[in-house]
Amino acid sequence: MSEFQRFLAKRLAISILLTLVAVSVIFVVLRLLPGSPFESLVTAGNLSQQQITEIRAMYGLDQPMWRQYLSYLQSILLFQFGYSILRSQPVWGVLAPRLVNTLILLVPALVTTAVLSSLLGMYVGWNRGSKLEKLSIIATTFLRSTPVFITGILFVIIFAYNLELVPAFGMRSISASPEGYVETFASLDFLHHYILPFTVSVLYYSGDFLLLARNGVVEKRGSEFLKLHRAKGLSEMQQLARAGRNSMLPILTYFALRLGMIFQGLILLEVVFGWPGIGRELVLAIQQQDYPLVQAAVFIMALAVIVANLVADVLYAYFDPTVSTSGGGAA
Amino acid sequence: MSLLDITDLTVTYSTDSGTVHAVNDVSFSIDEGVNYGLAGESGSGKSTLAEAVLGLLPSNGSVESGSIEFQGRDLTGLSERERRDVLWEDIAYIPQSAMDSLDPVMSTGAQIRQAIQTHRNVTDDKARARVRELFEIVGLDPDRIDDYPHEFSGGMRQRVTIAMALALEPDLIIADEPTTGLDVIVQDKIIDKILEIQDRMDSSLLLITHEIGVIAETCDELSILYGGKAMEQGSVDNVLVNPTNPYTMGLKNSFPEIEEGDQDPVSIPGSPPNLSESPSACVFKDRCPFATEECEASHPDLVDLPNRNHRSACHHVTKAAQMRRDATDPETWGIPDSHDESDRGEVLLETDGLEKYYEQSQPLLEQLRGNDPNYVRAVDGVSLRVRRSEILGIAGESGCGKSTLGETIALLKQPTGGEFVFDGEPYEHYADGNMREFRRKVQIIFQDPFDSLNPRQTVRQLVGEPLTIHDYRTEERERAIIETLEKVGLTPARKFLDQYPHQLSGGQRQRVAVAKALVLDPDFLICDEPASMLDVSLKVNLLNLLRELADTEDIGIVYISHDLASLVQVSDRLAIMYLGRVIEEGDVESIAAEPKHPYTTSLLAAAPEKDPTVDRDRVLLDGEPPDPVDLPSGCVFAPRCPKAEDECRESEPGLDTVRSGEHRAACYFPDGETPAADDLADDRSGTYGDPEFSSPASGDSASD
Repeated sequence: MSEFQRFLAKRLAISILLTLVAVSVIFVVLRLLPGSPFESLVTAGNLSQQQITEIRAMYGLDQPMWRQYLSYLQSILLFQFGYSILRSQPVWGVLAPRLVNTLILLVPALVTTAVLSSLLGMYVGWNRGSKLEKLSIIATTFLRSTPVFITGILFVIIFAYNLELVPAFGMRSISASPEGYVETFASLDFLHHYILPFTVSVLYYSGDFLLLARNGVVEKRGSEFLKLHRAKGLSEMQQLARAGRNSMLPILTYFALRLGMIFQGLILLEVVFGWPGIGRELVLAIQQQDYPLVQAAVFIMALAVIVANLVADVLYAYFDPTVSTSGGGAA
Repeated sequence: MSLLDITDLTVTYSTDSGTVHAVNDVSFSIDEGVNYGLAGESGSGKSTLAEAVLGLLPSNGSVESGSIEFQGRDLTGLSERERRDVLWEDIAYIPQSAMDSLDPVMSTGAQIRQAIQTHRNVTDDKARARVRELFEIVGLDPDRIDDYPHEFSGGMRQRVTIAMALALEPDLIIADEPTTGLDVIVQDKIIDKILEIQDRMDSSLLLITHEIGVIAETCDELSILYGGKAMEQGSVDNVLVNPTNPYTMGLKNSFPEIEEGDQDPVSIPGSPPNLSESPSACVFKDRCPFATEECEASHPDLVDLPNRNHRSACHHVTKAAQMRRDATDPETWGIPDSHDESDRGEVLLETDGLEKYYEQSQPLLEQLRGNDPNYVRAVDGVSLRVRRSEILGIAGESGCGKSTLGETIALLKQPTGGEFVFDGEPYEHYADGNMREFRRKVQIIFQDPFDSLNPRQTVRQLVGEPLTIHDYRTEERERAIIETLEKVGLTPARKFLDQYPHQLSGGQRQRVAVAKALVLDPDFLICDEPASMLDVSLKVNLLNLLRELADTEDIGIVYISHDLASLVQVSDRLAIMYLGRVIEEGDVESIAAEPKHPYTTSLLAAAPEKDPTVDRDRVLLDGEPPDPVDLPSGCVFAPRCPKAEDECRESEPGLDTVRSGEHRAACYFPDGETPAADDLADDRSGTYGDPEFSSPASGDSASD
C-alpha cells in the first residue's frame, strides 16, 4: 500500500466513524424532544387510543429503544429513509426535489463567488493599499455581516417591487406546472426567478473568499521566492499567479467545507425568496416532529459535511507537496 | 570594456519616519570575468546595492541619482519590459536565504524550466534536458528534478538556486550572501562550486557578504561599504593585506581566525550610523579611534593610492601604516585589555554517558505487534565536565545534536539515560522538587535575540521578570537590574530601562538577553549559538563579554556553535560533536594545532581565511551526515571519512582511543604529526565533485 493509499484509508475510516457518531446523535436528540409526531392528532380528538397504538406499532415506535436504534441504523446506512409520518409518502420522494432545488441555486453561486472573489482578492492583495482594495473589503465585509434576509429583502424591494425587473417570489411562476427536472430548470422563466437569489448568495459568500485570498497574497508578497521569481524576469501577472497559487490552500479548504454545508441550504434566503429548498423543509419537519424526515435530512447534511472534509484533506495533500500524508510527527 | 559600471549611485528608502539614505554616491566597476566582492556589516547598504542593480528594490526604495551601466546600457532608465529581458538572460541572481527562496509548491526542475522558458523559446523536452544537465553541473542527482524544495536540505537547495542562475549562462551573477545560514562545511562546498562553475562559464561574479574571509578567498577586487558609503576599494590583495581605512582595519581585526586563538579579537565598539540624513561628516567618525575635526567636517572622497589598484576614503590615508599598527591594539578602540587567566575552579557540571533519544512514531500495526519503535539518537552517550570559570565550546554541523545536548543539560528536556550531576547533586535530586533552584543556577541564552525577547515588555520588565519568578533580590529589584545591565555593557543603564526591544540594535538586544540570564547570578550559563545572527563586530563584542564573565564571575559556560573560529577564540576546552557523540575533546590550543579526528580536521579546514595571500587547502567532505535513526555500524563518521578502513566499519572507536593528556579523540587512525590538512587534501584531490546524493542520507533529508 502506498503512503497515499494508507492515508486515504485512514481518513475514510475516520469519516465512517464520524458518520456513525453523527447518526446516533440525531437519533438520541430527536427522542429527547418532548411530545411525539401524533400529539397534534390526538389533541384534535381525531384518533382513538386503539388507533394510536396501531399506528405506533406500524412505525415500530412501541419497541424498546435499543431495538429502534438498531433498525434505524440498519436502514439509514442502506439509505432506506422510510415513510414520512405526516406526508404519507417516501421520505426520499419529499427530500430529493428540495435538495436538488437548493443545490442548483447554491452550488453555482458558491463556485462563481469562489472563483471571482478569490481572483479579486488576490489582485487587491497584490496592489495593497489601493482604493479598490479598501472598497472591496468594506463592501464584502458589509455583505458578509449583514443577515442574508436583510440583503435579500433589500434586493427584493429594489429589483422586484421598484424596478420590476424580476419576480420577487418562488422558483417558477404560479401558472407553470413543469414535470421533471429538465422541464423545471431549463426555461427562461426559471432563469428569471433564479437571478435574484443567485446574486444575493454570491454576494453573501464573497467576503470570506476575498479576505482569505487577499491575506494569503499579502503574506506571500514579501517572500524570498517571489523575489527570485521577479529576478528571473517573470511579469507582474505571472508573479501574482505564483503568489496566488501559494495561497490557495486555505481557500481550497474553505471551499470544500462550504460545499458540504450547502446541503443544509440557506434557510433564511429560502424563506425570503420562497425557494422550495431543503432548509425550509427541515424547519417544517422539526416543527411537526416528523422523525423519519428529520433523521434523513440531518443524515444527508452530516454526510455531506463529512465527505467535504475528506475531500478537503485529499485536495490538501494533492495541492501542497509539503503536506505529509504519513501523518508522522516529523513533518 | 567593463561589464558593470556603477557611478555615484544613491538609493533612498522612504519610511514613515523619514527618508533612509541606504546607499550614498557609490561607484565601482566590474570587468568581464572578474570576481567582485562587496563587504560590510548589515545596514551598510550592500544588499540594497544589489537590488538596485537587479531592479528589485522594494516599492518604497528608489534610485535617487547616479547610473548603473551594464554593457553600455543604463539599467536605471529601462522600462519594466526591457528590464525583464535583461534579468536572468544577462544578470542572474543567487538569493540570500536558500531555505525560503524556492517556490514551495513548484518542483525545483519546473522552477528552473520556468526561468529558461521565460526567456527562450524552447520545447519542454529541451528545457528538461537542460535542467538535468544543470543538476549534474552543480552536483545534484538529475533524477531528482521533479522533487519539491522541501525534499532537499539547505545546502542542496542553494545548489538548486545556483543551477537556476547558470541556466542561461549569464554574463554577471549577483550572489547575495549565498552561504549565510549554512554550516561551515556546506558553505565551503557551495563557494567552491560557485567558483568552479563560474570559471568554466567565464562569467563575472558580484559577491555580497559580511564574511571578509569568503571574499579574501574568492574575489579579485572588492569594495568595503559602511553606512552606504564605499570606504575602501581596490584589489583584494592590497585592501585586505594593507588596509588604509580604519574601518577596514577594524573589520579585519574582528574577523576571528583559528590560528590566533590566544589573541582576543578586536571589536569595533558602537553600532552602525543612523542613515536618516545624507552624510555630511565621515560616516565612520563616531566609531573611529583616529577621528579628528577634519573628519567631522566632511566625508572624505575616495583617494587613489599611488602605483596600485587601491582607493580609500579617509582623511588620514597618509598615516595608514601608523594606524594599522595601532588598530591591532584593543586599547586604541577604547576596549580595556583585561586578559588575566584566572584559575579554573571546581567541577560544576558533569555528565556521564548522557542520552536523549526520541521515539519515532510507528504504524499502529507495528505497535500492536509489540515491535520496538525506532529511536532518533539525538544525544548518544555524551560525557562532559565543565568547571567554574571555564568555557567549554561544543562544535558540530547542524543536526549533530548540539542544541539538544544544550537543552538536555539545561534540563529543558529530560535525559533518557546516563548520569547527570550538577553542583554535586544528581539529576534525580533536581527532578524531585528542586527544579526551581536549578532554574536559578542554570541559565540558557538562545540563538535568536530578536525572537527571544517579548516585544511588549520594556528592558526593565524583561530583565526584572526572572527576579519576580524566583523571588530573588526583590527588595532591591531596581538596583539588581541596573547592576546587571552595567555588567553586560549597557551603560548608562538608566537610559535603557524604559526602552522596548524594537528600539534597540541587534547587539543591544543580545546584551539584554544576556542580562536576563545573568540577573539571577547563575553559576552556569548555556549559550546556544548566541552570535549566529550578529554581525562580526557585534559577535566579537559578545564573545569578549562571555570571556570576561567567565573570568570575573566564576561561572561555567557551555558555548554551542557551528562556527569553529569563534569557538576557538572564546573557549578553554572544545568538544566536537558528530551525530550525537563527542568525537574529540581537549584543550582549544591542542585541538586547533593538532586535530586528531579527521572530522575535526575538515571542520577546521573549512573555515575561511581572511588573508588573501594564504592559500588554504580545501578539504571537502562528501555527502551529509547519515540518518540518526539508522546509523551505520562501526564509526559513525566512516561513510564520509577519507581514511576509513574495514576496522572503522566494524567496531566503533571509543573516545579514549587516542589520548595525549587532556586531549582525547575517537579514531583508529588519528591525524598524526604531519600537517593534517595536506594529508587529507592529497587523498581527496579531484573528488569534490562527488554528488551529495551518494550519501545514504539524501532520501531522509526530505523528511524534515
